[in-house]
Amino acid sequence: MYKNYLEKVLQWRLIVVYLTGILGLTIVLATTLGPAQIAPLVVLKILISRLPLVNGLVAPSRSIAEETIVLQIRLPRILLGILVGGALSVAGATMQGLFKNPMADPYIIGISSGAALGATLAMLGLAHMSVYTMPLMAFIFAVGAIFLVYNIASVGGRLPVGTLLLAGIAVSLFLSAITSFMMYISGERLHGIVFWLMGGLWASSWDRVWMVLPWICVGTSVIYIFARDLNVMLLGEEPAQHLGIEVEALKKVMMVSASLITAAAVAVSGIIGFVGLIIPHIVRILVGPDHRILLPSSALVGGIFLVWADTLARTIIAPTEIPVGIITALFGAPFFVYLLRRRKRSMF
Amino acid sequence: MSFITLKINNIACRYESAEILENIEFSASGGDFVGVLGPNGSGKTTLLRSISRTMRPHIGTVLLNEKNIYALPSKEVARNLAVVPQESPISFDFTALEIVLMGRTPHLGRFEIESAKDLAIAKKAMKLTNTRHLSQRPITELSGGERQRIVIARALAQEPKVLLLDEPTMHLDINHQIEILNLIKRLNREEKMIIIAVFHDLNLAALYCDLLMLLHQRKIFSLGSPEKVLTAENIKRVYDAEVLVKRHPATNSIYVTLLPSTPFHEGVSKGRSPFVIHIICGAGTGSQLMHLLIEKGHQVTAGVLNAIDTDHETHQRLGIPIVSEAPFSPISCEMHEANLGLIDQADVVVLTNIPFGYGNLKNLEAAELALENKPVLLIEETPIEQRDFTHGEAKKIYTRLKSNGAIVLHSPEEVLPIIEKMAR
Repeated sequence: MYKNYLEKVLQWRLIVVYLTGILGLTIVLATTLGPAQIAPLVVLKILISRLPLVNGLVAPSRSIAEETIVLQIRLPRILLGILVGGALSVAGATMQGLFKNPMADPYIIGISSGAALGATLAMLGLAHMSVYTMPLMAFIFAVGAIFLVYNIASVGGRLPVGTLLLAGIAVSLFLSAITSFMMYISGERLHGIVFWLMGGLWASSWDRVWMVLPWICVGTSVIYIFARDLNVMLLGEEPAQHLGIEVEALKKVMMVSASLITAAAVAVSGIIGFVGLIIPHIVRILVGPDHRILLPSSALVGGIFLVWADTLARTIIAPTEIPVGIITALFGAPFFVYLLRRRKRSMF
Repeated sequence: MSFITLKINNIACRYESAEILENIEFSASGGDFVGVLGPNGSGKTTLLRSISRTMRPHIGTVLLNEKNIYALPSKEVARNLAVVPQESPISFDFTALEIVLMGRTPHLGRFEIESAKDLAIAKKAMKLTNTRHLSQRPITELSGGERQRIVIARALAQEPKVLLLDEPTMHLDINHQIEILNLIKRLNREEKMIIIAVFHDLNLAALYCDLLMLLHQRKIFSLGSPEKVLTAENIKRVYDAEVLVKRHPATNSIYVTLLPSTPFHEGVSKGRSPFVIHIICGAGTGSQLMHLLIEKGHQVTAGVLNAIDTDHETHQRLGIPIVSEAPFSPISCEMHEANLGLIDQADVVVLTNIPFGYGNLKNLEAAELALENKPVLLIEETPIEQRDFTHGEAKKIYTRLKSNGAIVLHSPEEVLPIIEKMAR
């Protein structure tokens, strides 16, 4: 236990530095793993040669093939994994705080069902296909679903969270029904749709990284700015308002930000379950419930977790890939149960 | 020191289409302690919510230092006004200190982190509420009372000038009730804080508040000092309850005692013809006996009593025919005769453990006359010598009563079996 806030802030900074270190290590190690054997040192050299400021320190790599594998195949996939994992974890932590409900996850108000419908429509060729069509359709439909839910739930400028939850479930079920119908008539394209629904990072590219980076960075930053307010929100809406929080405005900003980063993540990686629900819980057990440390830690741990899960997904029975959603649940759930048993405390 | 003022300008609140508060108008300034009373559903909590910027009234305004609170930024309101809700369900592992520190929120900038000063203020608030030892405990592990004190500490950490409390002591043990109310009273006196508190307990409200507001059917029924507001008639109208209002001898504050509105007449319900008992009592010695006998369905009369005697109040309430004398006056011949009239109609006479002075010696004489044609029971809890203030005169008559066949008992409880036997 810290004695005062200065000590606490110092502790927080240490946690962030520590996790950032692990993330850096994760990037290097995960890049070395794959069907083609590339030594960690070589990977490091290639990575450093591409970093600004320090690129003069190493000689340029001699193997074009190795460079292509590292820079064009593995690195964008890893970075996308970090972005998606971080985004889902931050969105999950935010939703859990806003709803004061440990069962809340990023998909709670129907984002996933909107994205699924968008992606399904794109895959069934109802829209002209290009590389961008599917993520774009998924994103547009996800955002559309959020605004639908939002409009159903808002009453006279207020956004009661209970109604929001129920509206989310209703819209979700409705959109899922349409998606199911589409899948039923999809014929041989069914496999692709199911694969997408399970979530995965196999379609990663630098394009996709750049596509989601601004959304996730801006959304996460906005959420982080209101981290302390999110703490106060856990006291309940009225007490929060009595402490000077503009509750309705805060709810809207947080809901929209969390939804947008989730929609961006889903658009490029499909519906990866589990990360957004469990990572915030694990991190809360490790660093405490204060959102000022919970949010950055969740972003980092979520990123690290998803990269390792994806590495497993692409190497465990290579060359076949398993949808990463299967891995996240398969390894995350038992670990979560272990933490639960060790700390028989309330989850918040 | 600049005094804070709070003005409630003729507000009305409605929820959907139902009115829940109408025509509320009052003002308070630094140093006022206002207690809000009223039955469930009378609008007490709504009043607090409208003052705390949670429920905007559709008519009227709430002015804090002459400024409309609904037009002020919520942070500015929170720096001046804190609220302690009825219950604070908190279900996550913040420590008590972290919860109290959240009270500093309205004083912090967007990216500011709690400073040593904020920490000192939080710790002071915890010291005042006697919760320092709980600092590092998770809030989820605290009892309801401890948690409520933490919430009060959080409100104090806001350094408010107006403190609104909704039944602040509901979950507290009596020692903490008094502790917290004393603390609030002290802040009210020393820091000139405006306190507006909803109370369930009329007596606590009377003990601590300078000003009481009694709400009834969404409106102010009575507003003023405890003496003015807490009258038996007001409480009867608003709560539909029979009460006795007195000043408490120890605190000198208004004290309300709840009375069961209809005594239980067991005997009457069995259809037995009542046995008439006349009680000669006074100075509170007969109340218990009267209750006992009435409950068993006997008919009771009494006399001669002084009009402010406790026994007299009991009589009034139980609707017993009595003969009473003006306060502090000796028994007049008229009243003595009236008393003898009641004795004449009675089947048995009971003389309670009254102290005798020259003023009520006639009651003793009445007992002696009664003994001529009906049984007389003497309740002797203390020997006559100790309650004779007539230099032996009372003792003389009392001894005569005993030797002429009056039955001596030692407590009011012993009366009942004897009366039951006689009645059969």
